[in-house]
Formats: sequence, structure tokens, C-alpha cells
Amino acid sequence: MFEAYILNLLILIGIYIILGVSLNLVLGFTGLINLGHIALFGIGAYTSALLAGIGLPFFVAFFAAGLISGLFGFALIFATRKLKGDYFALATLGFAFVTYSLMLNLQELTRGPLGIAGISKPSIFGLALTNNISYFVFVYLVVVLTVIAIYSIVKSPFGKLLHAARNDEIGLRVLGKNTNKIKFKVMAVSGFFAGIAGSLFAHYISFIDPSSFYITEIILILSIVIVGGIASIQGTIAGTILIFLIPEILRFFDLPSGVLGASRQIIYAVILIGILLYKPRGLFGRIDLE
Amino acid sequence: MSLLAQLTINGIIAGSIYALVAAGFSLIYGTNKFMHFAHGASVAVSGYFLFTLFKILGVNFYFSILITLFFSGLFGFLLYRGVYLPLQKKNASNVILLVASIAVLIFFENLIQVLFGADVKSVGFFEIKEGINLFGGSITEVQIFIFGVSLFFLISLNFFMKKTKLGKSMRAVADNKELASIWGINPRRIADYSFILGSFLAGIAGILIGIEQGLSPGMGTILIIKGFTGAIIGGIASVPAAVLGSYVLGFAENFGVALLPSGYKDAIGFLILFLFLLFKPEGLFGIRKGVKDV
Repeated sequence: MFEAYILNLLILIGIYIILGVSLNLVLGFTGLINLGHIALFGIGAYTSALLAGIGLPFFVAFFAAGLISGLFGFALIFATRKLKGDYFALATLGFAFVTYSLMLNLQELTRGPLGIAGISKPSIFGLALTNNISYFVFVYLVVVLTVIAIYSIVKSPFGKLLHAARNDEIGLRVLGKNTNKIKFKVMAVSGFFAGIAGSLFAHYISFIDPSSFYITEIILILSIVIVGGIASIQGTIAGTILIFLIPEILRFFDLPSGVLGASRQIIYAVILIGILLYKPRGLFGRIDLE
Repeated sequence: MSLLAQLTINGIIAGSIYALVAAGFSLIYGTNKFMHFAHGASVAVSGYFLFTLFKILGVNFYFSILITLFFSGLFGFLLYRGVYLPLQKKNASNVILLVASIAVLIFFENLIQVLFGADVKSVGFFEIKEGINLFGGSITEVQIFIFGVSLFFLISLNFFMKKTKLGKSMRAVADNKELASIWGINPRRIADYSFILGSFLAGIAGILIGIEQGLSPGMGTILIIKGFTGAIIGGIASVPAAVLGSYVLGFAENFGVALLPSGYKDAIGFLILFLFLLFKPEGLFGIRKGVKDV
């Protein structure tokens, strides 16, 4: 019982590490406050669930989830490329709400508020990941690959461009770099990883509905990234673990499930405001959020 | 029953509520130049405050309203002094203030859910009677009351901003903070007043919603998005433009639902918001200033 509980927590932490580092790539390393990240996660979850539902192999659904979310990430930044700071943030929030609303209303495709149940457990080259231990191993394999990929991006010459785009966009343009192109690429990559995180989430929980991707759910991912520290990968990993462990205290109180979810969000909100007020660089951040 | 008349009436009533939210939001944005998204929390908290006083504690209705209005102003003031001002003192950017305000909004939304539950609560002071026929559409007495109250406060606000010394000072700070402070206006004091007045308007919106449609924990998030969208449609930096934009939104939503399934009602607002941000961020009646890069 206790083992199953720990395993469940670890799998969710793994999925949210992928989601967190992919958000940090745009939010921290590039300085784009993308509040639509939750929608990219949801699009990945739905893509994967629907494709697996019509009988495609898991790997196809998994990569398609990444590609479709990456495409949406690209479309989002392409549409909003001229908006700055807070306007960009709110446009991405608008995108997240429209996506949520489509999930709710395109009932022929998404089954609306009923959600999609009975999403198959993945099977990789004939090896079925039916129990949580094998799923755990698979998730962490993806986590390691994601972290390596994002780490190499930020350490590469391209990563230096991201850094420069955040700190001095006009300066970078003077040097003849197309800063829009940089943003397009980074949002597509970030969207890809949000999408595969969505796929992992859908096939793990085996049930998805629009409420998991409502705009207020962004607070969880935002807290993870900001608590861990802007532009710090190890920070995001530590942040995810911390953000998932703290609300577990609530389990000691016998709360009804409706109150439990709300109490969790209260904790995230308090942590987020507290960090912004008293430790704006988070645990491992080296730079300020701008 | 004429569909056109009914949609027009629905548009006006929805617009009246959005306009109150947008006016407060735009007033605060104008003098402070950041997006107070937790303005939605001011609406929701005020509505539930009235519900607690009148429905749970049994305080006299009119006295409850008076205390609620006082409370809503105080609530806005405390948010400014407790969250935004400390952040501004640390040179926090607009984006940080926005993230903090979203956190505040989500905090109160969930606090309400824990305290009051997720179901819809109605203040229910007025009896909901059958509607009166108006040009072939139906309008209830409560809806006429909502329209009247909203119009009264919006006109008073306009008068206040144009004729009183404090109102003029607010407009001066909104226009040019440095210049205003050279003339001896204290911008922080103006910020205090703008939060009090803006949140007072949010309180009125919260009360009206509690009376007519009922309160739910998620209302703050939805309403600030409506108010914000209305402000963007009209032009965020100008209060009258934000009010006009809110009526445009009210009409667009209600006429849009006649064409699309009703589930899309909230999405229509967001879609309009998204399109305006992309193609006309200065709004229909506003000025283009500091919206886009370079």
C-alpha cells in the first residue's frame, strides 16, 4: 500500500519534471511567460489518448502528442510574436482557455465533460507496461532524456542566443540575429516536451477530462518553475519534488476530495506569492524573472 | 417573443456587469500600469461577503450592502499594500506583478471553495418574478435594477474623474506619473485611492451578481477575464473606453451564442480577447502606447 503510494507520487513527479523543465526553457531561459503551457500539456494528453484509442501503437501516439503540441506551441508564438511581457502572458492565457473550451465542446472528438476513459497502458515493442514499476522505469527514462536534451539546448550556442534574447533582444537584432526565429524554435521544442508529458500523464491516469487542463492548473507548473528558480534545470527538479511533497501533509487530515484539491491550490498560491515576495530567485535561480 | 430584442437585452445586462468590473480594472491599470488580475477576487470575495452577512448572519439587507461596499474597498487597499507595493519596492517587473496577481486570484477562488463549497449560492433578496415585455423581449425587474445601478455608478465615476480634484489627480498620474509628481501629486496615495475606488466598483459587481445570478467559487476568474477583455476591446488605459468595450463584449457573447452552441459562450470572450491582443491591442477607442515591442 505504502509502496504503491510512493510509486504513484514518483511517477507524477517525473511527469511534472518534464512539464516543468519544458516551461523553464521558455519562461526562464528565454523570458517568455507562457501561461498556455497547461494547454500544450492537455493537447498532448488528448492527442495521445485519441490516437491510442483508434488502435495506433503507443509509440506513434506518444510522438504524435509531442509533435502536435510542438506545432501548437509554434502557432501560439507565431501569432503572439509582437506582444510584449504581460500582454503576451495574457494572450497565452486566452489560448489556454479557448483550448479548454474546445476540449469541453468538441464533443464528437473529445467526449466533452465526460472525458476519455480506459486509455490503454502503453506497450513498447511488445513489452506491456501494465504495472506501475515498469511505467515508473519508462517515465524516468523519458525524464532523463528530456533533461539531457534541454540541458544540451541551454548549454549550446543556441542556448547563449536564448540568454541574449531574454536580456537584450534589441542588441541581438543589431547583431543580425532573427530573435523571432529563436522564439519560434524554443516554443516548438517546449511544446514537444509538454506534449509527451501529456501523453505520459494520459496513459498513466488512464482517464482524462478537460478539468485537468483548466487555466487555474497553470499555478502548479508556475510554482514548480519559480520555486525551483528561473533558468535552472536542477532547480525545476528540486521544485517539482518540493511542490509535490508539501501538499502531502494534507493527507494527515481527513479532508473530502473537493476540499483536498482546493487546499492544494491554496498551498501552491501561498508558496508562489511567498517566493515572489521573499526569495524571488527561488531555490537555485541565478537570475530574476523579468 | 422577438429573438433580436431578447439578445439585445441580454447583451445590455451582461455588459452592465462587465462594465463595472472593467471600469475598476482599467482605473487601477491606468494609475499603476500593471494588470491587477486579482480584481476578479475582489468581485467574488465581495459577493460572498454579502452572502455571509445577509444569508448566514442575518444582518439587515441594506446595512449588509453598506458594509460589503466598505469591505470591498478595504480589500483592494489591503491587496495593494500587502502584495503589490512590497513587490514594487523590490523593483518587480509587470510580469511578476501579473504572476502574483494570478496567484492571489487562485488563492481566493480556492479559499471560497473550501469555506462555502463548490455549489452556486444565491443572496436572493429580490423575488425573481416573470419578466416584463419590452419590445418583444423579456426583462426582469432585477435586471432593470442591475442596469440602473451599473449606469448610475458608471456615470458617477465619469463625473468623479472629470470634475473632482482626486479624479483629476488620478487621470494626471495615469497620463504621466513623473509630471504629476512634480506638480505635488503623491503617486502612492493615488495608487491607494485607485485600488479602493476600483475595488469598490468590483464590490458593486459582486453584489449585483449575488442578487441575480448567484455566486460560485470560479466566478472571479471568469469575470476578470470578461472585464479585462472588455477593457482590451475598448482600450485599457481609458475608463470610458473600457466601459464601452464591455458592452461590445456583452453583445458579442449573446449574439454569438445565437450562432454557436451555448457551451462556447465564455470561449467567445476569450477568442475576442485573443484576436484583439493580436491585431488591435490598443482597442477600439484607445491609444497605442506601450503595448507592442519596438
